[in-house]
Amino acid sequence: MLLHKRKVDFVRPLLPPREWERIEAYAVSDAGYGTDPFGTDPDALGLSYAVGYWLHRHYFRVVSQGHENFPQHGGAVIVGNHSGVLPFDAVMLAVDIFRYTDPPRLLRFMVDYFVYQVPFLGVLFRSLGQMPGTRRNFDGLVEEGHFVGIFPEGAEALGKPAEKRYELYPFSHGHVELAARHRAPVVPFGLVGAEEQMTMLTDLRPLARALRLPYFPVTTRFPWLGPFGLLPKPVRYFIHYGEPIHIDPEALHSVEIRSREVERVRDAVADLIHVGLQTRREYRGSRV
Amino acid sequence: MTIRGESKIPTLKAAALVNPAETPTPGTLREGPRRVFIAGARRRVAVQLIERLLAAPEVDLVLGVDRGPCPPALLGCDPERFLFASADLSRRRQVDNLFLLDRLRERPLDTVVHLAFQGNPRGYGVESHEFNVNSARHLLDASLRHGISKYIFLSSDAVYKIGPRTDYKVREDGDLNLDHDVHPILRDTIDAEFMCRAKMDRPDCEIIVLRPSGVFGGGVLSGINLLFESTPPVLPVGFDPMINPTSKERLARDLILAIFLHGKGVYNLAGLTAGPLSKFLEERGITAIRVPGPALGVVNRMQRMLGMTRYHAGFHPKRLYYSLVLDDSRFDKIFRTNADKVPALARTPDIA
Repeated sequence: MLLHKRKVDFVRPLLPPREWERIEAYAVSDAGYGTDPFGTDPDALGLSYAVGYWLHRHYFRVVSQGHENFPQHGGAVIVGNHSGVLPFDAVMLAVDIFRYTDPPRLLRFMVDYFVYQVPFLGVLFRSLGQMPGTRRNFDGLVEEGHFVGIFPEGAEALGKPAEKRYELYPFSHGHVELAARHRAPVVPFGLVGAEEQMTMLTDLRPLARALRLPYFPVTTRFPWLGPFGLLPKPVRYFIHYGEPIHIDPEALHSVEIRSREVERVRDAVADLIHVGLQTRREYRGSRV
Repeated sequence: MTIRGESKIPTLKAAALVNPAETPTPGTLREGPRRVFIAGARRRVAVQLIERLLAAPEVDLVLGVDRGPCPPALLGCDPERFLFASADLSRRRQVDNLFLLDRLRERPLDTVVHLAFQGNPRGYGVESHEFNVNSARHLLDASLRHGISKYIFLSSDAVYKIGPRTDYKVREDGDLNLDHDVHPILRDTIDAEFMCRAKMDRPDCEIIVLRPSGVFGGGVLSGINLLFESTPPVLPVGFDPMINPTSKERLARDLILAIFLHGKGVYNLAGLTAGPLSKFLEERGITAIRVPGPALGVVNRMQRMLGMTRYHAGFHPKRLYYSLVLDDSRFDKIFRTNADKVPALARTPDIA
């Protein structure tokens, strides 16, 4: 077996008993060989949640609010800002939503396809329910009532330089079109903290192209400290989820309406980032 | 051409004309008894299919055709209902003569199933290519000329393009494997499909292309089956694609549905279950060896030279890296949900 069948028990100390109950309560519709049709593996999910929970609680010490905005049933598109050189923001979002929704909901991201070309990484992402970003995959996930996470800024936003912190890159239109087609609500979020976990100095584009990566980061610690330089600083994350946005179905028939809806979502995310920054200031102030 | 059980060659019959306004509803039962021509009768799935057809009283006659002799499993079949003919399907005259047999004069054939495609990369050359192209063309043309009302071409899921962007379930409108370096067999298969598609609007003949996922079963020449029969299977490190293979029994059942029910078009056929390749190996107690991706081709070549495998890694190179799970919900909706209308299936055990 590729992902060695670990005894999940060895990570039990990382999770309190009630969290193990939540994992065991999470239903994966078995396609016949222990995974769901998308390839989600319950064992890999449990193991990863245990590690992710520890990071969520003790390393990034995530403060989040707005979970009441998630629909109880059915699919939704979760959209927000992306940053931090490595996608720890996506990991913390998934853990946060799994932790605070009842029943627990797994956030499945539309992932850049280059991940699936990398040995082990593609299999890991798939076993955690993270899918290549194709329309058909999005349709399948939403039709089955899953939460689909999209970063409309794209993978390039991960390589955002320090001077562009908390500035949103232009949003792609795909999430609006797909949400309109499936009449799924868009739940925006603003995530504060990831921008500071690694300070991006520059992007070596020729090397990125040669390695078929979206970017090759040079940070204050990488590549100088080798692979250890990619470990993020233990910054606190602040995540705010906004009210669901229902996309005008006319976005399917009009470029102007679609652009307007994209801007509506982008503005909502920008507002939530602003709220997050304010919350962080207050949080730091109260701790002085 | 040699025919077992025949001596005269009759005259040509005119093709039946069908009123286009009376197009039958897909999924309804074709009326009357069946007289079926199976090209490629020596294949394992063909033998399965013929045995099941002959078990059904609704089947009047089965004509099995292939280049070699009649397979031993079919030698004991009722000669009143089963004919075997050795013929070269790449020769137009030989194909045409098959439709003009004396036994078929009063009650002609109504269904043709083309299972004769040369899909084995081993020994593939110009001759195989010409056979594939010509047999597909001659068989289809002869079928249309002689009033066949149902023509079934068994294609392959290898026609689909796979890669890191592949959908979690591939529908019939998925990207085809038209890369410049694709194996010639796949080009032949896609060509044959296009020939079928070009005639699909004919009102007098329902042309159907079936793309099965990998087929498990003893002796089946499907890539996935050959991989599993390797000693040992060699896979690339770090990849574990999702698959949903079918079995030769299930495929035979699906072919029967396609034969007995109305319907035309392109359909995927898949197994009931989907999962990572490693889980299928584990279930069968098979331990694979993993090598770095760039070494896979070399190791596979060595294995083939040493007789340790018949699997050809170069045939569909990305197959062991990226998932290919077929979405056969269309076939399910039109054919499998109407399986109860097919008496032939009611009498034989339902195979999952």
